[in-house]
This record gives sequence, structure tokens and C-alpha cells, in this order.
Amino acid sequence: MTAGTLGGSDLLLLSAILVPLVLGLAALKPWVRRWGPTLALVAPLPALAAVLLVPVGQSVLLVPAPFRLTLALDAPGALLLGGAALLWLLAGIYARAYLKDDPERGAFSVWWLLTMAGAFAVFLVADVASFYLAYALVSFAAYGLAAHDDTAEARRAGRVYLALTVLGEALLIAAFVMLASSVSGANPLIRDAVAGLAQSPWRGAILGLLLVGFTMKMGLFPLHVWMPLAHAVAPVPGSAVLSGIVVKAGVIGLIRFLPADLPLAQWGMALLTAGLFTAFYGVAIGLTQSHPKRALAYSTVSQMGVVAAVLGAGLAAGDAAAPSLAAFYALNHMLLKGAMFLAVGVAMASGPRHLRLVLIGAAVLGLSLAGLPFTGGALAKYAVKAPVGEGGAGILLALSAGGTTLLMARYVLLLAARGKGADPAAGEAEAPPALLVPWAVLSGVAVLLPFALFTPVTGLGLGGLFSLEGIIKGLWPVALGLAVAALLYQKPPKVSEIPAGDILALTQGLRPALRGLLSAAVRLDAGLRHWSSAALALVLVMVALAVAMGEPQWLQPLWP
Amino acid sequence: MSGGALPGLPPADMLLVLAVILPLFGLLPLLLLGSRLAERLTLLVLAAGLAVALGIGAEVAAAGQAATAFIGGWRPPLGVGLRADGLSAVMLVMTAVVLCATGLYAMTGPATPRAAGERMPTAFWMLLLCVWSALNLVFVAEDLFTLYVALELLTFAAVPLVCLDGKEGQIEAALRYLVFALFGSVLYLLGTVLIYALYGTLDIILAARRASVSPGLVVALAAMTAGMMAKAALFPLHLWLPPAHSGAPPAASAMLSAVVIKAPIFLLVRFWLDLAPESLAVKVGPILAGLGAAAILMCSLVALAQHRLKLLIAYSTAAQIGYLFLMFPLAAAASAWSALAWTGGALHLASHAFSKAAMFMAAGLIAEAVGHDRIKGLTGLGRALPVSVAAFGLGGLSLMGLPPAGGFVAKVMLLSAAVHLGNWWIALVILIGGLLAGGYVLRVVVPALQRPAAPLALRPVAGWREWVALALALVAVGLGFVPLEPSAYLAIGRPASWAEGAP
Repeated sequence: MTAGTLGGSDLLLLSAILVPLVLGLAALKPWVRRWGPTLALVAPLPALAAVLLVPVGQSVLLVPAPFRLTLALDAPGALLLGGAALLWLLAGIYARAYLKDDPERGAFSVWWLLTMAGAFAVFLVADVASFYLAYALVSFAAYGLAAHDDTAEARRAGRVYLALTVLGEALLIAAFVMLASSVSGANPLIRDAVAGLAQSPWRGAILGLLLVGFTMKMGLFPLHVWMPLAHAVAPVPGSAVLSGIVVKAGVIGLIRFLPADLPLAQWGMALLTAGLFTAFYGVAIGLTQSHPKRALAYSTVSQMGVVAAVLGAGLAAGDAAAPSLAAFYALNHMLLKGAMFLAVGVAMASGPRHLRLVLIGAAVLGLSLAGLPFTGGALAKYAVKAPVGEGGAGILLALSAGGTTLLMARYVLLLAARGKGADPAAGEAEAPPALLVPWAVLSGVAVLLPFALFTPVTGLGLGGLFSLEGIIKGLWPVALGLAVAALLYQKPPKVSEIPAGDILALTQGLRPALRGLLSAAVRLDAGLRHWSSAALALVLVMVALAVAMGEPQWLQPLWP
Repeated sequence: MSGGALPGLPPADMLLVLAVILPLFGLLPLLLLGSRLAERLTLLVLAAGLAVALGIGAEVAAAGQAATAFIGGWRPPLGVGLRADGLSAVMLVMTAVVLCATGLYAMTGPATPRAAGERMPTAFWMLLLCVWSALNLVFVAEDLFTLYVALELLTFAAVPLVCLDGKEGQIEAALRYLVFALFGSVLYLLGTVLIYALYGTLDIILAARRASVSPGLVVALAAMTAGMMAKAALFPLHLWLPPAHSGAPPAASAMLSAVVIKAPIFLLVRFWLDLAPESLAVKVGPILAGLGAAAILMCSLVALAQHRLKLLIAYSTAAQIGYLFLMFPLAAAASAWSALAWTGGALHLASHAFSKAAMFMAAGLIAEAVGHDRIKGLTGLGRALPVSVAAFGLGGLSLMGLPPAGGFVAKVMLLSAAVHLGNWWIALVILIGGLLAGGYVLRVVVPALQRPAAPLALRPVAGWREWVALALALVAVGLGFVPLEPSAYLAIGRPASWAEGAP
């Protein structure tokens, strides 16, 4: 770490965050905003360059103590940053065409750029206060992407999202304050603060708050309620970055703030259990959905359950390799899910003939997510086997891949229904190249990139994966999922669609209670603001102060 | 007499006296001038006063000790001493900045002169200068009777600000304010008399040296504290604040909510950290914090239920005052963490001043443009008045305690201290208060970002007035870049003594 002079790679790391941030702020000016969709293409380039050129392990102290503003590129951060930059670039090209007739596209690009700055920062910052700032930026700016369409649905989704975001921020600041206090000096590095966790008298409280705060962002049951709402109402490219990238802020949070080499069996098991449950729960609810974007959003819920399970298993065992493997899995999900969301927009613009090709592409993406051998997704599934192990959790994890296959089959069917197939006038309609090309490129990268990264990240060869045993292990869940899908297709059960946000409906009962609380507060306030009660209160306050101070002997004669 | 610590600046003692009398000298010619010239002259005085406040701040920083002035050369106990330590200097500068912004905001524009009826009357400018002089005197005086005079001047200047337009509701609100502030003054005076009777001096520093726990001191402190709580509108003594702060003209509301309300709180800090023996401070802390917590929870809930923007902001002030009272048990504890709580409290005080002034100004512009301030009718306002909405939102960001705003750093400091000192309930209240603030701020900001059902019919407002509000909000955000550690500047001149003035 050097303070003072900044080298080229330091500047590159800094510009990865600053370029989108400055462009986003500049786009507040209307004449800049007109160029917003184009600026959105420039903004992710420094981050992409940083991932390619800056060696992993580089860290730079930008502002010395007491601020200690530090950037660092570690392996999980580099994986997620690189994937995010790539997805953001391609989704930006897509968005430019997708929103070209939207009069509000300028405003959309402001939120787009700010969310991007926050997301890149979250992957790069290494000190506690900057992390909180970056996390707040990506969380709040993402609201603008989700609520862009400004329909009644979008407004509701935005409200739910903001409410949970504000709550999450409160939980996290409480955790960070307790965590940072084991280290002397203002604003410690995350690494140093986490190292103090073992000795912290508040270890349980800190871990509980961290887990709830970060898994809320990842959409773990029961805090997932905002995700299907928000990810389904955003414009297609917005959904792609929300579901692909923004949820990874929670993943990097867990990676950074959970101790890597301190086994915490109970906490780890709790996270593992919650993750596995969510993995199945997301599939179950997702299967009832009638819109491909909602089905994808529930698939994200399910996939983040898998990531949480991996991190939980790692935490329980004190497995220092788990975070990198979880990040690898998250990267795989990031690219695939981004491509699958973009496919929705492509399908909606395609006539019957081209739709077929789009559906095949989407099916390949889905199968890769489920871990079909010879796809990138199989490598991700294989990588996370090690921390979870072969026991019950491992079998459940494999079964969840079957669930994913099923949900992906549902997604492809829903996608087919969304195409212009039903419209005879559409005939030969083809999605414009500006939608098609970024989608196709992203799909290709999503399926192939894990092959290039597998060995450097896991340290394993690809041999085990291509052995007969490896292929069978990857194949059976997918085959099982496809078989169940075929059965269900033949004989669709009568299940009505569960409204997005599922258990959110349970909180309806809280509304009258909340309203009652508010009106009680108003009534109490009105009562206290009467002259008589306020004057009495003044006297009572004075007496109370005197009594509090005067517990000694001289008051005792007044006591009976 | 100590000379100026910095070359090129007048000596510190002269600056202290100037801070108090400059506004008063500016006041005299206003009696003779019309409103247009009055506002121009006031702005000149404001600029000069800002320079004086900055000068004091610089002198205190350069000398590393409090600046003092002895009126007529007589030292206490014979004479009256003025003294500005680090905290006083911060308060002086904060007040000067807020009042300068208020002056700019209330000014008639050079390009777009407002109709004659809408110009602020000369009385407004006179009251502004009175308020300023009184505030500066509160911040530098060390003598209980001088402080009494300053408090009275402050009250009598602030009350007419509430009813400047002479509307019926305003006059009732002003009367409430006046009567309740008078109760507070009476209690304060009672305490002052008792202290003089006990120790034969009115000087806080000298009295503190002689103070020992006795029934007289207990009654005096209880009376003075209750009086200041009444003037600060701490729950449940807040009956006068919502109507007064929401009914006043926006420029006046900004001043009242941002700085005027801080004077009694500043004095409470003086009483409990400088005057009272520590053994008493420790016992009273929980009561002050308990009422502060009640203020945060109750007034935030009531703010959530408001239908009018200015009332929402006024209730938010009543709630935010609570945070300053949470500081007392933390700062009074004998621990290394109390310094952090103390810095956090001061930072909260300052960032609330800037953000609340910005929010009231923005609300005034919004009401001017839309013609009403019903929160329901503000959907889509973000497109029509982006700068005002941004000012409101950034001010709100600080209230919510989100980074990078000043309110965030203040919250983290108070939270850290609360956690370390084992005051878990205080930490919990701080967190819940942040959630509730998020609720009432987003209730306004989120609809403003949406698209309106029908285009809003707006009257034009001067753009630079919007920028004044935004500039204040940005100052509140800028305070978020204060390092997260006890401030050395605020520790200058503490514990209080007259040693700096030694010849």
C-alpha cells in the first residue's frame, strides 16, 4: 500500500468507480443527460480494463488515516467486477436500443450510471465506511431502475424495495459499528475489523445482523419478498443488471464480512439451511408464475439460496476457499441471468421463425444454469461441491439443480408465449440487431467464460469434470428435472399463480396496526400539546430532575 | 490582553465583541430605511459577520486555546468575560453560514424583483439581526445573567418572526411560543438567582469551581434545565414548536428550526459539562436521554402522519432535537468514548442545522411554486423543481443518517459510544429513529420522483433561491467527510477556565 503517489493500476482501479459516478452526476444536467444512453457504454470500460490489467492482490490507500479510504482487488472481487463490467457494457448496448422511444431514457441512464458506480465500488472498496457508502449507493440507485416504468405495480415494488433497503441499512450500520469497535482508530479495513470478530464480546449480535442485512439483499427467504416485485417491473435491461449484478452486493458483503478461517458451526449451519430452503422455495413459487421475468426473478431467489448455502458450509467449516468458489458461482449466475433477462426482450420482438432460435438459445442458458455437463454452469456447480460436501447437503444441492432445470423449462415455455408467435402479422419479424447481438454475445460468454476461469479460481483441472463419473453426477439432476418437466407438461396440475412477493401478502394484516399506531401517536401528541398538560409536564420534568439528582439524605424527610 | 494569534486579523477579543455588537450596529440604520435598502444593508452586515465568525474560528484553531475578551478590561468576578472555545467557534460559524444563506434566500432578486407585497418587510431584517446578536452572545457569554439577557433578546426577536404575516393562526402560534418561552425564562432566572445566592458569582467557570452538591444547587440546576428544555421544545414540552415553525414564513422557519432552537441546547451543554459537578451530571443524563428517546420515537411517528410538508418538517425538528439529548449520558460518562459521543452530538447539531434550513427553504419554494404544501399534491414535483427537491432530499439524507451525509457520521459516533458504554437502548433508539426518518423523508421524495397524473401548474420561483437551499444541503452532506474520531478542535478550551486570558 502506498500513500502519496498513485501508479497506473491504482488510477485504473479508482477510475473504475469514478468514471460512472462522475458521468452519472454530470447526467443530472439535461444537456448531458441527452447523451446518457451513450455515456452508459463508456462508463463500464475502466472497470473492464482494471480487471484485465490490474494484478489481483493490488491495493491502494487513496486517503490516509483517519479516513483510510482503500481500494483493493482480490480474487472474489475481481471475478464479480469483471462479470459486472461485461454485463453492464452489453446490457448498456441493449438498453440503448430497447429504450430508444422512451422519453424518460435520460433519467433511466442517470440511475443506471449511479447504480453502476455503486456496484463497482462495492466490489472494490476495502474499508468499512466506504463499503457502507458504496452499498447504500448501489441499493438506493437501483430503486430508480426498478421503478422506472412508474406503473402502479412499479410504484408498489419500489415502496417495498425502499422499505426493506432502509431496514437493511439500519441493520448493517449496527453490525459495522460493533465490528469496527474491536479495532482502534477510525474506519478500519474490513479485513482488520473481521479479524477482531473472534474476540468480540458481541460476536453473536454482529453475525446475526450481518447475515440478515446481507441476505436481505440476496433475497433469502423470508426477506426475498421485494425481489420478484422489483426485478419483474423494471425495463428488461434494468432487470438484467438488478438480478445479475445488484443482488451480488449482498454476496460480496457476506464474502467480505464473514470470517474466512474461523469455523462458526452454528452460524454456518443456519446460513446453509436457509440457503437450501430458499433454493427449493424459489423454484416452487417460480413454477407458478405466468410471466418469464417473474419466473427468472424467483430463479434468482433460488440461485442466491445456493450461494448462501455454499458460504454457509464454508463458514461452518472455516473453509477459506469457499468465498472464491461462491464468487465463481455468483459470476456464472450473473452472466447467465443477465442473458436470460435480455432474452425476454428479444423474444418479445421476434416472430415465430426467429423465436425458435431465441428459445433454443434461452434453453441452453437455462441448462447451463442447471449445470448440464459441457456447459459453463456445470463448472460452477462442480466448483461449489467441495465446500458443501457429498453428504445430505450435497444431495439437496444436486436436487436443487433438478429444480432449476424444471424452472428453466417453465421459463422457456413462458418465453415462447411472449413472442409474437400468436400475431400473424408478425410473421418474419426479427429482433433488431442492437438487441440481438448483445444478447447473443452475452449468452456465448456466459456459457463459455467459466471454462477459462475454472482452473485459475479453483486450482483444479478440468479432467474430473469430463470423467464418466463427473458427467453422470452433473447429468442426473438435469435429466430428472427434464423428466418432471415433461410429465408436468403432459398433465399440467391446476395450480393458481402465487402473486409475486408471495408471503408479502401476510403483512397486509400489519397495515391497520400501523395506521392504528400512527393515529394513537397523533392523539397522544395532541393531548400532550394542550396547555394544561404541557404546563404540568414542565413541572413534572423539573421535579423529576431534582429527584434524580437529590437522592441523598436531604430529600429523605420528604419520604414517608 | 491577548493579541491576534494570526497576522492580519484583528485581535481575538475584538472579534468576540464584534460578533455580538456588529448585528446591533447594523440594526440602527434599518429603522430609517425602506425594505429594499434594508435588505441590501443587512446582507452587507451578514457578510461582515460571517467574516468575523470565520476569523474567530481561525484564531481559536491557530492559538489552540479559547479566545477571550474582558469587557472594560475587568476580569471575572469583577467584570464580564466573553469566551469562545472550540464548540463556541463552531456554533458561531454555523450560525453565520445559516443566517447568510437565509438572508440570500429572503432577498429580492436583482433580475426578477418580486411584487412589492411579497418583499420581506424591514422588520424581518431587523429581527434577523437581533436573533443573530442574541445567538452570538449565547455562544460566547460565560455569565449567567448575560446569558439571561441573551435568551430574552432571542425569544423576543424570534416570536415576531413567527407572526410576521399577521395571519390569525400565526399570531396564536406566536403567543404559544412566547408564553411557553417565558415559563422557560422564569425557571432559568430562578436558577440563576439561586446560584448567585449560593456562590456569590454569576460566572459559570467560577461558580463551577465553587459548586458542591447541595439542595440549592440541585433546585437551581433542575429549574434551569427544565427552562431550557421548554425553550428547546423537547418532548413533552414541544406544544409550541409545530405551529410556530410550520406557520412562520419559510425564511423565518429555516432560522428558527436550524439555529434558534440550538441556543438552549448549547446552554444545557454548558450547564451539564461545565457548571454541574460530574456526580450530578451522571444522575441526570438518563432522564435527559429518556426524554430525547421519547421525542425521537413520538415526534417521528407524528411526522409520518402529517399531511402538510411544513408540519412534517417541524415535527422532524422536534424529533431530531431528541438526538442531542441522547448525547448527555454518553458524554458525561467517564470514558474514552465520551469524547466521541460529544463530537457526534456537536456534529449532529451542526448537520441538522444545515439540513433543516435547506429543507424549510425548499418547502417554502415548493409551496410558492405549487400554491400549497399538501404532501399528496407533490407527485411528480422532481421534474418541475429538481433543485428544490434535491435540496429537500439531500437534507433528508442527513436526517436519515445515510452516507455520505453529516448525519451519518454523527449517528455512527453516537452509536459507537452507546454500544461501548453499554447503553443498548440508546443505540436501539438511534437506529429506529433513522428508520422513521427514512419513512417521513421518502414519503415526500419518492412521489416527487414519480410522474404526475396531470401536469403541475407552477408559478415560477427564482432559480438562485433554489440553489441557496441546495448549497445548504450540500454543506450538510459535506460534513459527512469529517473523520470518524473525536474532534481535536471541539476539545479546544475544555475544560473551561479563564487561564487563557491570563496577562
